Amino acid sequence: MEISRRDFMHIAAIFGLGAATSSFASSKAIEQIGLKDIYEFDSMGNFTLMHICDLHAHIKPLYWREPSTLISAPNLVGTPGFLCGESFEKFYGLEPSSLDAYFDTYMDFNALARKFGKMGGVAHIKTLTNHIIKERGKENVLFLDSGDTWQGTGVALKSRGEAIVKAQNYLGIDTMVGHWEFTYGKERVRELIDKLDAKFISQNVVGDDPFSDEYEELIFEPYTIEERGGAKIGIIGQSFPFTSTANPKEFTEGWSFGLRMDTLQDYVNELKNEKKVDCVVVLSHDGFSVDQEVARQVKGIDFILSGHTHDPSPKPITINDTVIVIAGSHGKYIGRLDIDAKDGKVKGYEYKLIPIASTLIPADPEGVKLVDELYAPYDKEFNEVLGRTKGMLYKRDTFFSTFDQLINDAVMDEMKCDISFTPGYRWGTTVLAGENILMDNVYEMCAITYPNVYTFELKGQKIANLLEDIADNVFNANPLYQQGGDMSRLGGATYSIAVSNKSGERISKLMIGGKPIDLQKTYVVSSWGGNLQKAGSNLQKDKIRPVYDVVRDYIKRERVVDVSNKANVTLVDYNCGCPTKGSRGC
Amino acid sequence: MQRRDFFKKLGTVAVVTAVVPAMSFAGNAKPVGPNKMDFKTAVNAITGGKTPQKSNKVKLKTPEIAENGAVVPVTVSVDSPMTDTDYVKAIHILDGKNSNARCIDVFLTPANGKAMFSTRIKLGGTQDVTALVELSNGEFLIASQSVKVTIGGCG
Repeated sequence: MEISRRDFMHIAAIFGLGAATSSFASSKAIEQIGLKDIYEFDSMGNFTLMHICDLHAHIKPLYWREPSTLISAPNLVGTPGFLCGESFEKFYGLEPSSLDAYFDTYMDFNALARKFGKMGGVAHIKTLTNHIIKERGKENVLFLDSGDTWQGTGVALKSRGEAIVKAQNYLGIDTMVGHWEFTYGKERVRELIDKLDAKFISQNVVGDDPFSDEYEELIFEPYTIEERGGAKIGIIGQSFPFTSTANPKEFTEGWSFGLRMDTLQDYVNELKNEKKVDCVVVLSHDGFSVDQEVARQVKGIDFILSGHTHDPSPKPITINDTVIVIAGSHGKYIGRLDIDAKDGKVKGYEYKLIPIASTLIPADPEGVKLVDELYAPYDKEFNEVLGRTKGMLYKRDTFFSTFDQLINDAVMDEMKCDISFTPGYRWGTTVLAGENILMDNVYEMCAITYPNVYTFELKGQKIANLLEDIADNVFNANPLYQQGGDMSRLGGATYSIAVSNKSGERISKLMIGGKPIDLQKTYVVSSWGGNLQKAGSNLQKDKIRPVYDVVRDYIKRERVVDVSNKANVTLVDYNCGCPTKGSRGC
Repeated sequence: MQRRDFFKKLGTVAVVTAVVPAMSFAGNAKPVGPNKMDFKTAVNAITGGKTPQKSNKVKLKTPEIAENGAVVPVTVSVDSPMTDTDYVKAIHILDGKNSNARCIDVFLTPANGKAMFSTRIKLGGTQDVTALVELSNGEFLIASQSVKVTIGGCG
């Protein structure tokens, strides 16, 4: 069960030779060698699961830089789910500056991006999946989607998810679960499921409105049983357990989420003992670290295809005989899992996380046509050049990222607030240094169904408490109490944080506007994409405006943006952003 | 004012005074919250000072992260035969930080057949929820779980 990474390293070697003279390897021979390495797989067993997670509506190729800071509680740091950059490279034995290092880490991203090009895109994904289907036979392949698929770009928002459902139908997704999907609201979710060819399953979404017919009833089918390669495969759905806490409750009023490990166990037992399946799969949006905990507590799951936390995990991890995989985000990867299962037992498997290098994997013409059609109504708006960026604009990292800083700068400039909050989502985009910023890029950072920037008042004490509360959602030592996002990004403020301290005691030296926070003072706060306005008072109604409009206008005013790469947060208990296991450094 | 009216008014006042004698007294004081009782005092009041034993016979089911702090579902079930000689006498649900730690006391008899109770409680913030169970032999069992009440973080 060893995945050969050498294949990819020698792509790097080939590219390395050409890189000195030309920025792109255009020779057909080189592309063919690269493609062979990408496709290379020792196929085995009687069926194949193809896995995608967290596409975030990126049907076109994009640049997506992985984090340079991924901090958690000391017991979790340096373990799969909390690896990045140097520690990631070390853990998985990547060759520096290889195609893998470019896809999986932040290191030297701007330079490698110019060499290797964009990532993902449904037309390129389709070419790969066609290849796998051809190799294995259509009747032996299933395509599973861990959710966070319908939201994340302008085309998704403007078509209220429909463009992405069309892309999923084109890709041939068989089964999916959800999280951001729910932010289109219950009714729209149902409409989109009607248009979707795939089955939408979830064992952990249950009605909790006592006056509804759905009270205590499952909202979706909890599982599906599919036959592939002569095997019965039971797939249980697990949507994001904390949807109603992480996103506004009103979208899912009357639906209750949660991990629901007790009913998950019941369904595993039912599939094994009554339905006599050969393989139990949980298609999950719990997050990589939460699913490791699920594998510890729920017995009898063969495979968890995880999502939510956006980890590219080149190797599966095994906990109590449960194999867990997760396939990155933004359409950058497809996980290929060949399984040998019969007579109610899994006998073996082979896994590879396949990078969708869109300059190497040719586009399927049908997909290009579809994407063009879907974008056509919005091309004029999306392609508007708003300005240019001096440095690289990226999202991700635990405390600070440049594109978020740009958003905070825009909000502070327009709202004249003392402090601004931008959410620590893990989706977005990357704009390379010196490139133009398009309106499409702004949507890639802010396209949500509750985009308003709210400006209101909060007491200093409340701000301090809120920050501690958010920190505990990110850094709790028990993964079950984490929500799988990063810290909210602050504009106008700086602070120090000791991640390993007790809940409520992590943050110190909190400064607002360059002065230590006054706990008694009332501050003007702007925030978007969260629930903070509910904790505030004196909401300035006349200032409410969608964040993508605020950011657009700001970039247009500035023309050239120059966002400092210097974080406004000081990490007290680690001396680098990607610590290795058991250490405080890299 | 006519004499009859005077008696009418007097009568009304008299009735009010008779029914709720404490009312006028309370009316002078500032409104107070629920009776304060911290967790330790609450446990002692129930057990009479006995130390309850942690037990996996008590199954406490409540979410790790509350979807809504105002209505947090809690289900307590106890592994007990519920016979005349061996049964669960009471299930108490307590919280760690609310003003009054005692949420509910449920008293059972063998006729209940099953020692299980489900309700929703209100939590003012992140805290432990505890099930304290009294058995017919006078022993007390306990199980706790932390429930996070948060404004929510990120997606």
